[in-house]
Amino acid sequence: MSFKVLVFPGFGFLFCLAMLAEWIDRRMIARFQGRVGPPVFQPLADFIKLLGKEDLLPTGVNEKLMAALPLISLAACLTAGMYIPVAGVSVNNFEGDLIVVLFLLSLPSLLYFLAGWSSIGIYSILGGNRALLQFFSYEVPFLLALSGPAILNSSWNITDIMVNQSTSIWAIFVLPVGFMLAFFGLIGKLKRDPLDIPKAQSEIVAGPLTEFSGRKLAIWHLANQIQTVVGIFLLVDTYFGGGVIESRLATFLLFSFLALLILVSLSVMSAMYARLRIDQLARLGWKRLIPLSLLQIAFIVWMGKGF
Amino acid sequence: MTSTLIQKVFRWARRKSLWVLHYNSGGCNGCDIEFLDLLTPRYDVERLGIRQESVPRHADILLCTGPVTRQSRDRVLQIFTQIPEPKWVVVVGSCGCSGGVFQGSDYVLGGVDQVIPVDLYIPGCPCRPEIIIEGLIKLLEKIE
Repeated sequence: MSFKVLVFPGFGFLFCLAMLAEWIDRRMIARFQGRVGPPVFQPLADFIKLLGKEDLLPTGVNEKLMAALPLISLAACLTAGMYIPVAGVSVNNFEGDLIVVLFLLSLPSLLYFLAGWSSIGIYSILGGNRALLQFFSYEVPFLLALSGPAILNSSWNITDIMVNQSTSIWAIFVLPVGFMLAFFGLIGKLKRDPLDIPKAQSEIVAGPLTEFSGRKLAIWHLANQIQTVVGIFLLVDTYFGGGVIESRLATFLLFSFLALLILVSLSVMSAMYARLRIDQLARLGWKRLIPLSLLQIAFIVWMGKGF
Repeated sequence: MTSTLIQKVFRWARRKSLWVLHYNSGGCNGCDIEFLDLLTPRYDVERLGIRQESVPRHADILLCTGPVTRQSRDRVLQIFTQIPEPKWVVVVGSCGCSGGVFQGSDYVLGGVDQVIPVDLYIPGCPCRPEIIIEGLIKLLEKIE
Protein backbone atom coordinates (compact mmCIF):
# COMPACT_ATOMS: atom_id res chain seq x y z
CA MET A 1 0.00 0.00 0.00
CA SER A 2 2.77 2.45 0.90
CA PHE A 3 4.44 1.60 -2.42
CA LYS A 4 1.22 2.54 -4.20
CA VAL A 5 0.93 5.81 -2.31
CA LEU A 6 4.55 6.88 -2.46
CA VAL A 7 5.92 5.49 -5.72
CA PHE A 8 3.47 4.19 -8.34
CA PRO A 9 0.99 5.64 -9.14
CA GLY A 10 1.34 7.92 -6.13
CA PHE A 11 3.60 10.80 -5.27
CA GLY A 12 6.93 9.83 -6.87
CA PHE A 13 5.53 8.89 -10.26
CA LEU A 14 3.21 11.88 -10.51
CA PHE A 15 5.92 14.27 -9.23
CA CYS A 16 8.35 13.20 -11.99
CA LEU A 17 5.63 13.41 -14.64
CA ALA A 18 4.52 16.82 -13.39
CA MET A 19 8.07 18.18 -13.64
CA LEU A 20 8.45 16.68 -17.11
CA ALA A 21 5.08 18.01 -18.27
CA GLU A 22 5.89 21.52 -17.05
CA TRP A 23 9.21 21.48 -18.87
CA ILE A 24 7.66 20.23 -22.14
CA ASP A 25 4.94 22.85 -21.84
CA ARG A 26 7.29 25.77 -21.16
CA ARG A 27 9.69 24.61 -23.84
CA MET A 28 6.94 24.26 -26.44
CA ILE A 29 5.54 27.71 -25.68
CA ALA A 30 9.04 29.17 -25.92
CA ARG A 31 9.60 27.47 -29.29
CA PHE A 32 6.27 28.79 -30.59
CA GLN A 33 7.35 32.28 -29.57
CA GLY A 34 10.72 31.88 -31.30
CA ARG A 35 12.66 31.57 -28.03
CA VAL A 36 14.94 28.77 -26.82
CA GLY A 37 13.15 28.01 -23.56
CA PRO A 38 14.30 26.67 -20.21
CA PRO A 39 16.57 23.61 -19.70
CA VAL A 40 15.09 20.29 -18.61
CA PHE A 41 15.85 20.64 -14.87
CA GLN A 42 14.20 24.09 -14.69
CA PRO A 43 10.90 23.05 -13.00
CA LEU A 44 12.84 21.05 -10.40
CA ALA A 45 15.16 23.99 -9.69
CA ASP A 46 12.16 26.32 -9.33
CA PHE A 47 10.49 23.89 -6.94
CA ILE A 48 13.57 23.40 -4.73
CA LYS A 49 14.32 27.10 -4.69
CA LEU A 50 10.79 27.92 -3.55
CA LEU A 51 11.09 25.30 -0.79
CA GLY A 52 14.15 27.13 0.52
CA LYS A 53 12.60 30.57 0.61
CA GLU A 54 11.24 32.49 3.55
CA ASP A 55 7.55 31.98 4.24
CA LEU A 56 5.78 35.33 4.51
CA LEU A 57 2.10 35.92 5.18
CA PRO A 58 0.15 39.16 5.48
CA THR A 59 -0.92 40.13 9.00
CA GLY A 60 -4.44 39.20 10.02
CA VAL A 61 -4.87 36.04 7.92
CA ASN A 62 -5.75 32.63 9.31
CA GLU A 63 -2.30 31.03 9.17
CA LYS A 64 -3.45 27.45 9.63
CA LEU A 65 -5.98 27.78 6.82
CA MET A 66 -3.36 29.31 4.52
CA ALA A 67 -1.01 26.41 5.24
CA ALA A 68 -3.72 23.79 4.81
CA LEU A 69 -5.16 25.02 1.49
CA PRO A 70 -2.23 24.11 -0.80
CA LEU A 71 -1.77 20.78 0.96
CA ILE A 72 -5.43 19.80 0.54
CA SER A 73 -5.23 20.84 -3.10
CA LEU A 74 -2.14 18.66 -3.63
CA ALA A 75 -3.73 15.75 -1.78
CA ALA A 76 -6.89 15.97 -3.91
CA CYS A 77 -4.87 15.89 -7.14
CA LEU A 78 -2.72 12.96 -5.93
CA THR A 79 -5.77 11.00 -4.80
CA ALA A 80 -7.41 11.54 -8.18
CA GLY A 81 -4.20 10.17 -9.74
CA MET A 82 -4.62 6.91 -7.80
CA TYR A 83 -7.77 6.01 -9.76
CA ILE A 84 -6.54 6.89 -13.24
CA PRO A 85 -5.27 3.92 -15.27
CA VAL A 86 -1.84 4.67 -16.75
CA ALA A 87 -0.89 2.95 -20.01
CA GLY A 88 -3.55 0.28 -19.45
CA VAL A 89 -2.39 -0.45 -15.89
CA SER A 90 -5.18 0.12 -13.39
CA VAL A 91 -4.14 0.09 -9.75
CA ASN A 92 -7.40 0.98 -8.01
CA ASN A 93 -10.87 1.03 -9.45
CA PHE A 94 -14.46 0.71 -8.36
CA GLU A 95 -17.84 1.42 -9.93
CA GLY A 96 -18.34 5.18 -9.84
CA ASP A 97 -14.72 6.26 -9.59
CA LEU A 98 -15.20 8.64 -12.52
CA ILE A 99 -17.50 10.73 -10.32
CA VAL A 100 -14.97 10.67 -7.48
CA VAL A 101 -12.12 11.70 -9.77
CA LEU A 102 -14.16 14.54 -11.25
CA PHE A 103 -15.01 15.76 -7.76
CA LEU A 104 -11.38 15.54 -6.62
CA LEU A 105 -10.22 17.42 -9.71
CA SER A 106 -12.73 20.21 -9.14
CA LEU A 107 -11.71 20.60 -5.49
CA PRO A 108 -8.51 22.62 -6.26
CA SER A 109 -10.60 25.28 -8.03
CA LEU A 110 -12.74 25.79 -4.94
CA LEU A 111 -9.64 25.85 -2.72
CA TYR A 112 -8.16 28.38 -5.12
CA PHE A 113 -11.15 30.63 -4.51
CA LEU A 114 -10.84 30.09 -0.76
CA ALA A 115 -7.14 30.99 -0.92
CA GLY A 116 -8.01 34.26 -2.62
CA TRP A 117 -10.77 35.01 -0.16
CA SER A 118 -8.79 34.25 2.98
CA SER A 119 -5.59 36.10 2.03
CA ILE A 120 -6.58 39.67 2.71
CA GLY A 121 -5.73 41.62 -0.40
CA ILE A 122 -7.68 43.29 -3.15
CA TYR A 123 -6.01 41.34 -5.97
CA SER A 124 -6.53 38.03 -4.20
CA ILE A 125 -10.20 38.66 -3.54
CA LEU A 126 -10.80 39.78 -7.13
CA GLY A 127 -8.95 36.71 -8.37
CA GLY A 128 -10.96 34.47 -6.07
CA ASN A 129 -14.25 35.88 -7.36
CA ARG A 130 -13.11 35.40 -10.93
CA ALA A 131 -12.02 31.84 -10.14
CA LEU A 132 -15.50 31.04 -8.89
CA LEU A 133 -17.19 32.65 -11.92
CA GLN A 134 -14.90 30.71 -14.24
CA PHE A 135 -15.59 27.54 -12.25
CA PHE A 136 -19.33 27.81 -12.99
CA SER A 137 -18.69 28.40 -16.68
CA TYR A 138 -16.35 25.49 -17.50
CA GLU A 139 -17.23 22.87 -14.89
CA VAL A 140 -20.74 22.03 -16.16
CA PRO A 141 -19.69 21.41 -19.79
CA PHE A 142 -16.65 19.46 -18.53
CA LEU A 143 -18.79 17.16 -16.39
CA LEU A 144 -21.38 16.64 -19.14
CA ALA A 145 -18.65 16.04 -21.72
CA LEU A 146 -16.97 13.37 -19.60
CA SER A 147 -20.28 11.69 -18.85
CA GLY A 148 -20.57 11.10 -22.64
CA PRO A 149 -18.10 8.16 -22.81
CA ALA A 150 -19.51 6.86 -19.52
CA ILE A 151 -23.05 6.62 -20.90
CA LEU A 152 -21.73 5.29 -24.20
CA ASN A 153 -19.98 2.39 -22.44
CA SER A 154 -22.70 2.10 -19.76
CA SER A 155 -20.24 2.26 -16.86
CA TRP A 156 -19.00 4.90 -14.42
CA ASN A 157 -15.75 3.03 -13.84
CA ILE A 158 -12.80 4.60 -15.71
CA THR A 159 -11.06 1.26 -16.16
CA ASP A 160 -14.23 -0.34 -17.59
CA ILE A 161 -14.74 2.59 -19.96
CA MET A 162 -11.14 2.20 -21.12
CA VAL A 163 -11.23 -1.59 -21.58
CA ASN A 164 -14.63 -1.48 -23.26
CA GLN A 165 -13.37 1.00 -25.85
CA SER A 166 -10.40 -1.16 -26.78
CA THR A 167 -12.83 -3.85 -28.03
CA SER A 168 -15.36 -1.50 -29.67
CA ILE A 169 -14.51 2.01 -30.87
CA TRP A 170 -12.76 5.01 -29.31
CA ALA A 171 -15.22 7.55 -27.96
CA ILE A 172 -13.53 10.41 -29.83
CA PHE A 173 -14.74 8.98 -33.16
CA VAL A 174 -18.34 8.88 -31.92
CA LEU A 175 -18.24 12.09 -29.88
CA PRO A 176 -15.69 14.52 -31.38
CA VAL A 177 -17.68 17.47 -30.02
CA GLY A 178 -17.56 15.99 -26.55
CA PHE A 179 -13.79 15.77 -26.72
CA MET A 180 -13.58 19.42 -27.73
CA LEU A 181 -15.76 20.38 -24.77
CA ALA A 182 -13.70 18.29 -22.38
CA PHE A 183 -10.49 19.81 -23.74
CA PHE A 184 -11.89 23.31 -23.29
CA GLY A 185 -13.01 22.43 -19.79
CA LEU A 186 -9.55 21.11 -19.00
CA ILE A 187 -7.99 24.43 -20.04
CA GLY A 188 -10.41 26.22 -17.73
CA LYS A 189 -9.74 23.80 -14.91
CA LEU A 190 -5.98 24.22 -15.17
CA LYS A 191 -6.37 28.02 -15.56
CA ARG A 192 -4.14 27.93 -18.60
CA ASP A 193 -3.68 30.69 -21.08
CA PRO A 194 -6.85 31.48 -22.98
CA LEU A 195 -8.72 30.97 -19.69
CA ASP A 196 -6.20 32.25 -17.14
CA ILE A 197 -8.78 34.80 -16.05
CA PRO A 198 -8.38 34.19 -12.26
CA LYS A 199 -4.63 34.85 -12.31
CA ALA A 200 -4.40 37.31 -15.22
CA GLN A 201 -0.93 38.73 -14.76
CA SER A 202 -1.49 42.05 -16.47
CA GLU A 203 -4.74 42.76 -14.61
CA ILE A 204 -4.64 41.35 -11.08
CA VAL A 205 -0.93 40.42 -10.71
CA ALA A 206 -1.15 36.76 -9.61
CA GLY A 207 -4.77 36.42 -8.50
CA PRO A 208 -5.41 34.29 -5.41
CA LEU A 209 -1.73 33.29 -5.13
CA THR A 210 -0.57 36.91 -4.75
CA GLU A 211 0.07 36.62 -1.02
CA PHE A 212 1.64 33.15 -1.03
CA SER A 213 5.39 32.70 -0.96
CA GLY A 214 8.02 30.05 -0.38
CA ARG A 215 6.89 26.53 0.45
CA LYS A 216 3.17 27.23 0.03
CA LEU A 217 3.66 28.66 -3.44
CA ALA A 218 5.80 25.65 -4.40
CA ILE A 219 3.01 23.29 -3.35
CA TRP A 220 0.39 25.30 -5.23
CA HIS A 221 2.50 25.07 -8.38
CA LEU A 222 3.09 21.36 -7.88
CA ALA A 223 -0.61 20.72 -7.32
CA ASN A 224 -1.43 22.55 -10.54
CA GLN A 225 1.12 20.54 -12.51
CA ILE A 226 -0.11 17.24 -11.09
CA GLN A 227 -3.64 18.31 -11.96
CA THR A 228 -2.43 18.88 -15.53
CA VAL A 229 -1.01 15.36 -15.73
CA VAL A 230 -4.06 13.71 -14.16
CA GLY A 231 -6.45 15.70 -16.36
CA ILE A 232 -4.57 14.71 -19.52
CA PHE A 233 -4.53 11.03 -18.48
CA LEU A 234 -8.24 11.21 -17.75
CA LEU A 235 -8.96 12.52 -21.25
CA VAL A 236 -6.77 9.81 -22.83
CA ASP A 237 -8.48 7.08 -20.79
CA THR A 238 -12.04 8.18 -21.44
CA TYR A 239 -11.86 9.43 -25.02
CA PHE A 240 -9.01 7.38 -26.54
CA GLY A 241 -9.63 4.12 -24.70
CA GLY A 242 -6.35 4.60 -22.83
CA GLY A 243 -4.57 3.60 -26.05
CA VAL A 244 -4.97 -0.06 -25.06
CA ILE A 245 -3.79 -2.56 -27.69
CA GLU A 246 -2.76 -6.23 -27.26
CA SER A 247 0.97 -5.74 -26.76
CA ARG A 248 2.11 -4.08 -23.53
CA LEU A 249 4.86 -2.03 -25.19
CA ALA A 250 2.60 -0.77 -27.96
CA THR A 251 0.03 0.29 -25.36
CA PHE A 252 2.70 2.21 -23.46
CA LEU A 253 3.93 3.95 -26.62
CA LEU A 254 0.43 4.81 -27.85
CA PHE A 255 -0.59 6.09 -24.40
CA SER A 256 2.52 8.30 -24.15
CA PHE A 257 1.96 9.59 -27.67
CA LEU A 258 -1.67 10.50 -26.99
CA ALA A 259 -0.86 12.16 -23.66
CA LEU A 260 1.93 14.14 -25.30
CA LEU A 261 -0.41 15.14 -28.10
CA ILE A 262 -2.93 16.61 -25.65
CA LEU A 263 -0.16 18.38 -23.70
CA VAL A 264 1.22 19.95 -26.87
CA SER A 265 -2.30 20.99 -27.91
CA LEU A 266 -2.63 22.75 -24.56
CA SER A 267 0.65 24.58 -25.25
CA VAL A 268 -0.51 25.53 -28.74
CA MET A 269 -3.71 26.97 -27.30
CA SER A 270 -1.68 28.96 -24.74
CA ALA A 271 0.64 30.34 -27.38
CA MET A 272 -2.09 31.12 -29.92
CA TYR A 273 -4.93 32.74 -28.07
CA ALA A 274 -5.25 35.82 -25.90
CA ARG A 275 -7.17 35.79 -22.64
CA LEU A 276 -10.97 35.93 -22.77
CA ARG A 277 -12.85 38.44 -20.64
CA ILE A 278 -14.89 36.96 -17.83
CA ASP A 279 -18.22 37.97 -19.42
CA GLN A 280 -17.13 36.45 -22.74
CA LEU A 281 -16.32 33.19 -20.97
CA ALA A 282 -19.62 33.15 -19.07
CA ARG A 283 -21.57 33.80 -22.27
CA LEU A 284 -19.62 31.14 -24.18
CA GLY A 285 -20.04 28.64 -21.38
CA TRP A 286 -23.74 29.02 -20.70
CA LYS A 287 -25.03 29.88 -24.19
CA ARG A 288 -22.87 27.65 -26.39
CA LEU A 289 -21.03 24.90 -24.51
CA ILE A 290 -23.72 23.68 -22.12
CA PRO A 291 -26.44 23.37 -24.82
CA LEU A 292 -23.86 21.60 -27.01
CA SER A 293 -22.99 19.12 -24.27
CA LEU A 294 -26.69 18.46 -23.59
CA LEU A 295 -27.21 17.88 -27.32
CA GLN A 296 -24.36 15.41 -27.23
CA ILE A 297 -26.01 13.40 -24.47
CA ALA A 298 -29.30 13.48 -26.39
CA PHE A 299 -27.37 12.18 -29.40
CA ILE A 300 -26.01 9.22 -27.41
CA VAL A 301 -29.48 8.37 -26.15
CA TRP A 302 -30.90 8.65 -29.67
CA MET A 303 -28.23 6.25 -30.90
CA GLY A 304 -29.80 3.71 -28.56
CA LYS A 305 -26.72 3.39 -26.39
CA GLY A 306 -26.74 3.68 -22.65
CA PHE A 307 -29.56 3.80 -20.12
CA MET B 1 27.53 15.70 5.80
CA THR B 2 23.83 15.63 4.94
CA SER B 3 23.45 19.29 5.82
CA THR B 4 26.21 20.28 3.40
CA LEU B 5 24.57 18.16 0.70
CA ILE B 6 21.23 19.88 1.28
CA GLN B 7 22.97 23.25 1.23
CA LYS B 8 24.58 22.32 -2.07
CA VAL B 9 21.22 21.35 -3.56
CA PHE B 10 19.64 24.61 -2.43
CA ARG B 11 22.57 26.65 -3.76
CA TRP B 12 22.27 24.86 -7.11
CA ALA B 13 18.53 25.58 -7.23
CA ARG B 14 19.01 29.23 -6.28
CA ARG B 15 21.56 29.71 -9.02
CA LYS B 16 19.39 28.03 -11.63
CA SER B 17 16.13 29.78 -10.84
CA LEU B 18 15.94 33.54 -10.43
CA TRP B 19 12.58 35.29 -10.48
CA VAL B 20 12.94 39.00 -11.09
CA LEU B 21 10.61 41.75 -9.93
CA HIS B 22 11.05 44.89 -11.97
CA TYR B 23 10.35 48.28 -10.39
CA ASN B 24 10.85 51.72 -11.82
CA SER B 25 11.68 53.93 -8.85
CA GLY B 26 11.52 57.17 -10.83
CA GLY B 27 13.53 56.76 -14.02
CA CYS B 28 12.87 57.87 -17.59
CA ASN B 29 11.67 54.42 -18.82
CA GLY B 30 14.77 53.90 -20.99
CA CYS B 31 16.31 51.17 -18.85
CA ASP B 32 12.90 49.53 -18.41
CA ILE B 33 12.60 49.02 -22.15
CA GLU B 34 16.13 47.60 -22.25
CA PHE B 35 15.22 45.23 -19.41
CA LEU B 36 12.08 44.06 -21.21
CA ASP B 37 14.32 43.20 -24.17
CA LEU B 38 15.70 40.35 -22.07
CA LEU B 39 12.38 38.54 -22.32
CA THR B 40 12.18 38.77 -26.12
CA PRO B 41 13.30 35.97 -28.49
CA ARG B 42 16.62 37.67 -29.22
CA TYR B 43 17.95 37.48 -25.65
CA ASP B 44 15.51 35.03 -23.96
CA VAL B 45 16.76 34.85 -20.36
CA GLU B 46 14.34 32.01 -19.59
CA ARG B 47 17.09 29.65 -20.79
CA LEU B 48 19.10 30.83 -17.74
CA GLY B 49 16.10 30.25 -15.49
CA ILE B 50 15.36 33.96 -15.12
CA ARG B 51 11.69 34.81 -15.17
CA GLN B 52 9.79 38.03 -14.64
CA GLU B 53 7.32 37.96 -11.77
CA SER B 54 4.76 40.60 -10.95
CA VAL B 55 4.44 39.98 -7.20
CA PRO B 56 7.13 40.84 -4.62
CA ARG B 57 6.28 37.74 -2.61
CA HIS B 58 7.20 35.43 -5.51
CA ALA B 59 10.43 37.21 -6.46
CA ASP B 60 14.10 36.64 -5.63
CA ILE B 61 15.59 39.75 -7.19
CA LEU B 62 14.40 43.33 -7.04
CA LEU B 63 15.55 45.02 -10.23
CA CYS B 64 15.32 48.79 -9.82
CA THR B 65 15.70 51.32 -12.59
CA GLY B 66 16.06 55.04 -12.13
CA PRO B 67 16.88 57.25 -9.14
CA VAL B 68 14.70 57.11 -6.03
CA THR B 69 12.32 60.04 -5.92
CA ARG B 70 10.76 61.27 -2.68
CA GLN B 71 7.43 59.86 -3.82
CA SER B 72 8.68 56.36 -4.53
CA ARG B 73 10.93 55.99 -1.46
CA ASP B 74 8.27 54.34 0.71
CA ARG B 75 7.20 52.09 -2.11
CA VAL B 76 10.74 50.84 -2.74
CA LEU B 77 11.07 50.07 0.97
CA GLN B 78 7.71 48.34 1.09
CA ILE B 79 8.44 46.19 -1.96
CA PHE B 80 11.87 45.32 -0.57
CA THR B 81 10.44 44.14 2.75
CA GLN B 82 7.75 42.09 0.97
CA ILE B 83 10.31 39.97 -0.89
CA PRO B 84 11.07 36.80 1.11
CA GLU B 85 14.67 35.95 2.02
CA PRO B 86 17.08 35.19 0.38
CA LYS B 87 16.81 38.25 -1.83
CA TRP B 88 19.08 40.46 -3.88
CA VAL B 89 18.81 43.95 -5.28
CA VAL B 90 20.09 44.84 -8.73
CA VAL B 91 20.25 48.41 -9.95
CA VAL B 92 20.13 49.06 -13.68
CA GLY B 93 21.24 52.36 -15.18
CA SER B 94 23.44 55.25 -14.14
CA CYS B 95 20.62 57.13 -12.41
CA GLY B 96 19.87 54.19 -10.14
CA CYS B 97 23.56 53.72 -9.32
CA SER B 98 24.35 57.27 -8.26
CA GLY B 99 21.47 59.59 -9.05
CA GLY B 100 22.96 60.33 -12.48
CA VAL B 101 21.82 63.57 -14.08
CA PHE B 102 19.23 64.03 -11.34
CA GLN B 103 21.90 64.34 -8.64
CA GLY B 104 21.25 67.24 -6.29
CA SER B 105 17.64 67.69 -7.32
CA ASP B 106 15.17 68.58 -4.58
CA TYR B 107 12.83 65.79 -5.54
CA VAL B 108 15.37 62.98 -5.83
CA LEU B 109 17.10 61.21 -2.94
CA GLY B 110 19.89 59.84 -5.14
CA GLY B 111 20.75 56.27 -6.03
CA VAL B 112 18.80 53.24 -4.89
CA ASP B 113 21.50 52.47 -2.29
CA GLN B 114 20.32 55.52 -0.32
CA VAL B 115 17.21 53.53 0.62
CA ILE B 116 17.95 49.78 0.47
CA PRO B 117 21.15 47.68 0.34
CA VAL B 118 22.23 47.01 -3.26
CA ASP B 119 24.08 43.87 -4.38
CA LEU B 120 24.88 44.73 -7.96
CA TYR B 121 25.24 47.97 -9.92
CA ILE B 122 24.88 47.90 -13.71
CA PRO B 123 25.76 51.35 -15.09
CA GLY B 124 24.84 52.68 -18.52
CA CYS B 125 22.43 55.20 -19.97
CA PRO B 126 20.55 53.10 -20.85
CA CYS B 127 22.37 49.78 -20.32
CA ARG B 128 22.47 47.38 -23.21
CA PRO B 129 20.62 44.07 -22.64
CA GLU B 130 23.91 42.15 -23.01
CA ILE B 131 25.35 44.04 -20.05
CA ILE B 132 22.28 43.32 -17.94
CA ILE B 133 22.59 39.58 -18.73
CA GLU B 134 26.29 39.67 -17.86
CA GLY B 135 25.53 41.45 -14.61
CA LEU B 136 22.90 38.90 -13.67
CA ILE B 137 25.38 36.08 -14.38
CA LYS B 138 27.92 37.83 -12.12
CA LEU B 139 25.23 37.90 -9.46
CA LEU B 140 24.63 34.17 -9.92
CA GLU B 141 28.29 33.56 -9.08
CA LYS B 142 27.90 35.59 -5.89
CA ILE B 143 24.93 33.55 -4.66
CA GLU B 144 25.73 31.23 -1.75
